[in-house]
Amino acid sequence: MVGEKHLPDEFVADIRRYKLRGSSGKVNLALDHLPDFTSRPGDGVHVRGDIAIAPSIDYLERAYDDAKYGDFSKHPYMNVVIPSLVDPSVAPPGKHVMSIFVQYAPYHIKEGAERWPEKREAFGDAVVDTLAEFMPGLREAILHRQVLTPWDMEQQIGLTEGNIFQGELSLEQLLFQRPAAGFARYRTPVESLWLCGSGAHPGGGIMGSPGELCAKTMLGERAV
Amino acid sequence: MTTVSDANYDVIVIGGGHNGLTAACVLARRGRRVLVLEKRDVLGGLCAGEEFHPGYRSPGLLHDTATLRPAAVDALRLQEHGLDLEARAPEWFVPQERGRGLVFSRDADTAAAEIEGFSPRDGARYRDYRRFMDKARRVSEPVLNEAPPEMDLDTVGLAGLARHALGLRRLGARDMMNLLRVPPMCVADFAREWFETELLCATLAAPAVEGTWCGPWSPGTAANLLIWECTARRGVKGGAAGLAHALERAARFYGVETRTGAEVARIRVENGVATGVELAGGEAIGAGAVVSSCDPRTTFLGLVAPGALTHAFEHRVAVYRTRGTSAKVHLALSGPLAFACRPDLRVERARTGEMLDFQERAFDAVKYGHFSERPILDVFVPTFARPELAPDGCHVVSILAHFAPYEVTGGWDDAKRERLGDAVVAELARYAPGIDEKIVAREVLTPADIEARYGTTGGHIHHGEHALDQLIARPTPETARYRTPIRNLYLCGSGSFPGGGVTCAPGLLAARAIARG
Repeated sequence: MVGEKHLPDEFVADIRRYKLRGSSGKVNLALDHLPDFTSRPGDGVHVRGDIAIAPSIDYLERAYDDAKYGDFSKHPYMNVVIPSLVDPSVAPPGKHVMSIFVQYAPYHIKEGAERWPEKREAFGDAVVDTLAEFMPGLREAILHRQVLTPWDMEQQIGLTEGNIFQGELSLEQLLFQRPAAGFARYRTPVESLWLCGSGAHPGGGIMGSPGELCAKTMLGERAV
Repeated sequence: MTTVSDANYDVIVIGGGHNGLTAACVLARRGRRVLVLEKRDVLGGLCAGEEFHPGYRSPGLLHDTATLRPAAVDALRLQEHGLDLEARAPEWFVPQERGRGLVFSRDADTAAAEIEGFSPRDGARYRDYRRFMDKARRVSEPVLNEAPPEMDLDTVGLAGLARHALGLRRLGARDMMNLLRVPPMCVADFAREWFETELLCATLAAPAVEGTWCGPWSPGTAANLLIWECTARRGVKGGAAGLAHALERAARFYGVETRTGAEVARIRVENGVATGVELAGGEAIGAGAVVSSCDPRTTFLGLVAPGALTHAFEHRVAVYRTRGTSAKVHLALSGPLAFACRPDLRVERARTGEMLDFQERAFDAVKYGHFSERPILDVFVPTFARPELAPDGCHVVSILAHFAPYEVTGGWDDAKRERLGDAVVAELARYAPGIDEKIVAREVLTPADIEARYGTTGGHIHHGEHALDQLIARPTPETARYRTPIRNLYLCGSGSFPGGGVTCAPGLLAARAIARG
């Protein structure tokens, strides 16, 4: 948005090497009814919070292996919530919403990110098929399915490379180096331009901290 | 029956590898009466050269001798005892199945000329890379050449830290920040930030992952590259065995007593104080101090009788990671090793694994208990510098192969060992076709064999994983400065700072710490 010509070369170089590469996808399901988990059928606290599909360390590692070589996980890690159990207003009476966070779905698939639309449904199938292993009646209960790939997140939400944290949360991109050394305190090389998003310290997630800290810094420095 | 030897030593060193011998020599030079006990029939440990087929000798298990510390060479005057150093840090060749391969050198001009053949931009970038590493070396090398800082941050430790911090600050803000961000990175990302040539990126990544439980996409592997770049200097001609010989001669010169075939069964501990050792045959030998160059798990969980250490400490030692991932293959060849992509090149050192993803896939196998079907190979041909290691016109090819897990699914057996050997030879034959017909004999060592032969837990060639959490507080916070919870028992092996490899640094630093009291 700013344009390189208004920025110092070193800052441009740092931002160019700042790593985004989104690695997560999202699948939202509209369900006719809530099927049972094989391991623990019925309603209860176990389905009213976060549900993790992560049977073993090696399972997670294999899911990551697929992503390393530019493919979505055949058997992904999933974080499932069913908000309609605690807030019935999100679905018609008796129906349910299932929100599935999926790891891994790399933005840079080996065919090229722009080819994601062709793989979107295959990705959705992998998610539903894997979850159905733990919840056998799932397929029959689905009324509608929405699949969001990292490419979709970039196109629809504006997240660069579909990274939900606005940049990898790796050590070399945290603390005084987020997003670039010398510009970790919400200031930018452009006067009166500040950063307050997940790409600033302390990073992404539903924290509100980058926004709060940026605002406090601005007020503290009497910038506004 | 226990017999107690009359001799009264100031120091007993357990293990006659390069670090044990270094520590022994330093202490003997300072007037201590020192005895080295080695369970094998040869001295040298992982550096020992051995006959693996009639007429053919290996150059030692470890290959890379470029990180041998000049401070150790000078302190023991090893060059006066026959140590023969190369003129500069070793070059190595990375062959390609299609393409002419890359001769990698740390000399900027030599390397840039090779690299420009792939990418003119990378040729120029390589000169910048060398300048960056030269600056990094000025800050990092002093840190790696002295004992790690005190964990309780007393005033002495703080002074040391402040000195290093000042050195870092002197780099200037930009270089300091650039250096600080490197260690936690994965070496693949780090290399790709610098270079667009995949072969060059893979070339830089290989030494950073060899001997580790990591692939090039594992975080923290850039630290290994940084440490290597900041410590590599001149290698030993003909390989590590040359160092073992020089240390053996130096030990005799400084009056160190050595006994081979002398396996220590127990470190004797009385009232929390080490008083000597007991050999496997029952003989007891007393000493004022015991210095172990064995890996920490062997020392604390094997040689110290249960009850002398707290459970909490034993737990910290038990979780210290020593899962070996390297195998060793020695080939006796009837003729020279020739690479198809550059048949006229005289190759003394080579590394296979021409792409980062290829290396990563090799690593993936060990995660699930298998050895790599296509391993990455660190190849050394010692017979150019030392023709006497093989009959006339014949050669020895020494290969460190990555990755092969110590805990292979189903356990290691003869058939699996041979399959591993076949995979290694097949991989080499991709680049050096026709090698099969030249093989007179081969020796294959799995990590289990390495453990059995050398006594390193898990067959780990570095006495424990090189990872950020096992580098400074190595092997545990309370033993990081070579002392142990048992008074007069010290560590001096690769399981101590600054870690494994043919550096002699743990031996040197430990002996200095011990001599100071």
